[in-house]
Amino acid sequence: MELHIVGTNAITYPAMHVWDWRVASYLFLGGLSGGLMIMSAVNYIRPKNGQNADTLNAWKIPVLIPILLTIGLIFLNLDLERKLHAFWFYLTFKPVSPMSWGAWIVLIIYPLLIAYALAALPDNITRTIKYPTIRNWADALKPHLLKLAKVNIIAGVLLAIYTGILLSSLVARPLWNSPILPVLFLTSGMSTGAALMIILAKTKEMKLFFTKIDIWLIMAELLILVLMFYGHYVGDAVHQQAIAPFFSTSHEFFPYFLSIVVLGICLPLAVVLKFLEVTGEHTEELTTSSLLMMNFSALLVLVGGAVIRFALVYAGQLSGYSSYL
Amino acid sequence: MPRYVMVIDQSRCIGCMSCVVACKRENDVPPEQYRTRVVEMVRGEFPRLRTEMRSELCNHCDDPPCVHICPTGASHQEKDGTVQIDRRKCVGCKACITACPYDVRYINEEHGYADKCSFCQHRLKEGKEPACVATCVGRSRIFGDLDDPNSEVSQLLRENSWRVLKPEVGTKPHVYYINQFPRKS
Ligand code: SF4
Ligand code: SF4
Repeated sequence: MELHIVGTNAITYPAMHVWDWRVASYLFLGGLSGGLMIMSAVNYIRPKNGQNADTLNAWKIPVLIPILLTIGLIFLNLDLERKLHAFWFYLTFKPVSPMSWGAWIVLIIYPLLIAYALAALPDNITRTIKYPTIRNWADALKPHLLKLAKVNIIAGVLLAIYTGILLSSLVARPLWNSPILPVLFLTSGMSTGAALMIILAKTKEMKLFFTKIDIWLIMAELLILVLMFYGHYVGDAVHQQAIAPFFSTSHEFFPYFLSIVVLGICLPLAVVLKFLEVTGEHTEELTTSSLLMMNFSALLVLVGGAVIRFALVYAGQLSGYSSYL
Repeated sequence: MPRYVMVIDQSRCIGCMSCVVACKRENDVPPEQYRTRVVEMVRGEFPRLRTEMRSELCNHCDDPPCVHICPTGASHQEKDGTVQIDRRKCVGCKACITACPYDVRYINEEHGYADKCSFCQHRLKEGKEPACVATCVGRSRIFGDLDDPNSEVSQLLRENSWRVLKPEVGTKPHVYYINQFPRKS
């Protein structure tokens, strides 16, 4: 017998939509901060040919990271329905809750980020700090910059990956419930981190170094994206249904379809542009057109990273088991 | 310690929705929000149709994802097997809402905490049944202690074939459904 479900109780049947742009923005900024922690640490640790002029400029990135993370956390806090109760996050540690892990990771990361930023401050900036305590701290931490950078790599990975682990642990949302999601978030976080490094870097050498890194990261990101959709496509009915909005042309699902189109354009285009950048001949000083191209391709990567977070946050909440009974 | 469960005999439900109303009144559930619902599902091809009445509520799962994800311990499991929310500890992060495969949680729009069916915990403490069970005119909802072999729920589950909702998500629900469509003799 053919079965048609022709109606449910529209009034009492729920439509779940609880996380919106605030959570998506946090996921993006958290991933970006994690990626920047890794990339700026790589910049300090990597062997350089002679004196790198950008060491004079590189300090701005460790200072930027806590600012970005704070903006992200403000968004996350805006999403809490009971902001004044937020202290309960820190009166409990739930080992099985990735959300509890996240709250504690952020708490531990903050002092680390502050220490990293202070250690990275060049002498001429340190001298302008009004408060002697902070100045003394900066002086004391300076010799430990490389050690702090190494710890930042681990902390950055944790920060960029935990949000993916959190979403992937939710069996109720088939779109998120995929072990490849944390890897996607980590790769995308690192890739956006590299993109921002490219935009902020002043020297040709540093821009080209991170462009090379970003080419690999974007290609990995594209592969993981395809594999994630493939994993759902060959999965059971709920997983197939979970990716349906991305491939539907109905106007209801248009934003999801558009997100796939945008990703399909932004990321491959960024790879091509970056490839041209690293293989092309450059003058000693980068020309305005090369600079524009580099910044544009980095911007494409940032847009791609944001689209991934927004599309997945919204589409994940559409996916569920409700229609399978 | 009892182990509270609910048995829903779907063949006895007449779709009067008095359980929904009783629940809203008993628990002061805000307008537009529900702790329980009766889903009417029509299947078949016209004119050969049949309607399934399915009461849905929190399943007080034995392996509850909402409790596992809750970062503050607000959502927790009591010794009697029920899943409850300590409103004081709830930050309103909504993780539990996304984690519940049954979509039975909501944010109380007046106070901001997560909320759901508690099996009328306050009534249980007074030795009463949940409000929906007490009001159910068709006796479709039956409540009791699964650890007591003589309880009505234990007998019903012994004598009937039953199912739980979405067993594939591995939550081990404590709400059991019997006789979706009884066979004609
Ligand atoms: S039905 Fe949902 S809210 Fe109730 S215990 Fe199970 S997972 Fe938690
Ligand atoms: S909304 Fe409240 S009960 Fe739900 S997970 Fe967050 S803190 Fe826990």
